[in-house]
Amino acid sequence: MEQIPEKTKITITLPTNAYFMSGIRDFTLTMIKNTTNFSEKWAFRFQSVVDELCNNAIEYGSSPGSDIRISFNHVKDQYLEITVEDTGAGTNKINAAQLQKIFNERKEPGYVFTGIRGRGLVKIIGEWTDEIKFVDRPEGGIAVTVKKYLKDARQAETLPIPNNNTLFLNNL
Amino acid sequence: MTEAIITIEDAQSPSPDKILKIVHISGQLDESNIDEKIQEIYKVLEANPKGLNLIFDMENLEYMNSKSIGYLTDLYGKVTEANGQVAIAKAKNNILDILQVVGLTQLIKTFDSTDEAKNYITAATPASAPATMPTEQAASAPTPAPTPAPTPEPTPEPTPAPAPAPAPAPAPTPEPTPTPAPAPDPNQTGGTFNINQ
Repeated sequence: MEQIPEKTKITITLPTNAYFMSGIRDFTLTMIKNTTNFSEKWAFRFQSVVDELCNNAIEYGSSPGSDIRISFNHVKDQYLEITVEDTGAGTNKINAAQLQKIFNERKEPGYVFTGIRGRGLVKIIGEWTDEIKFVDRPEGGIAVTVKKYLKDARQAETLPIPNNNTLFLNNL
Repeated sequence: MTEAIITIEDAQSPSPDKILKIVHISGQLDESNIDEKIQEIYKVLEANPKGLNLIFDMENLEYMNSKSIGYLTDLYGKVTEANGQVAIAKAKNNILDILQVVGLTQLIKTFDSTDEAKNYITAATPASAPATMPTEQAASAPTPAPTPAPTPEPTPEPTPAPAPAPAPAPAPTPEPTPTPAPAPDPNQTGGTFNINQ
């Protein structure tokens, strides 16, 4: 069995169509289970995070016929970073600052979700990642980057945290 | 379109004025199919505007996205406004996890079996005054019954659209805590000395 590589970067480009998201979810789940130190629970969580990010990009960032790009950047024992980029060709496009503002507003504890939609960005992506960044792409569109640190994920599950030190003695 | 199957089964009613249906959901509910599939449940609601109780059997549900959860929240609001009850049975851990992170498990009780869910429905009093309903539900239970199923895109609250103004004076919403408090970092434990340093 091969060991998990120190660094892995995988980029996928897919058409603007929700039809392809089932395959992307399967890939995300398998990739995280097999090539990272994150647990199965987090593999399922990232599956949702990627799905929500892509749905957002497909529906509002990219028009039919254009693409969205997903990048997975994993550094062993440290973090998993996922970026989803759209082309900005969608009819409902907005810029990164506007999206950041929406995110901040909905993150407020008293915010009330009244519609069918709108929970994914804050309740799923926001809750299950440690960092989220919205950036305008020079070519147009937005890149949304989320990052989850392995240490935080393990703490959240009360799993043992890897220790690089070989021996500890009680300090008197 | 991703495969998802929704079948609705009539179950023995706990009382003459109650109607109990078990909604079996299998496959994956996502952006490609949810708007269409959910209509089957709204049709049942439309046909039974009063006294409907729903148990969602999620044993074979593998995935659901945030929009599916939005619909579930809306259904909960409509059913409970009509004095019905809603319960979820046999959901997998990953489904329970996502229901919890969006706060839906604060509204809808979850059970390990449909029998337990039935017992709950049978025992429950009509939910005419959901006093403990969190803020989100209070606002999410939209207009009462005459409006049946929402259209496939029910006045969406598109994620990137300008956020609606929060409801006036919302009560503090008890947010779910999906992850327990961090465990102490062994590296930070007091009274240790690393001989490698």
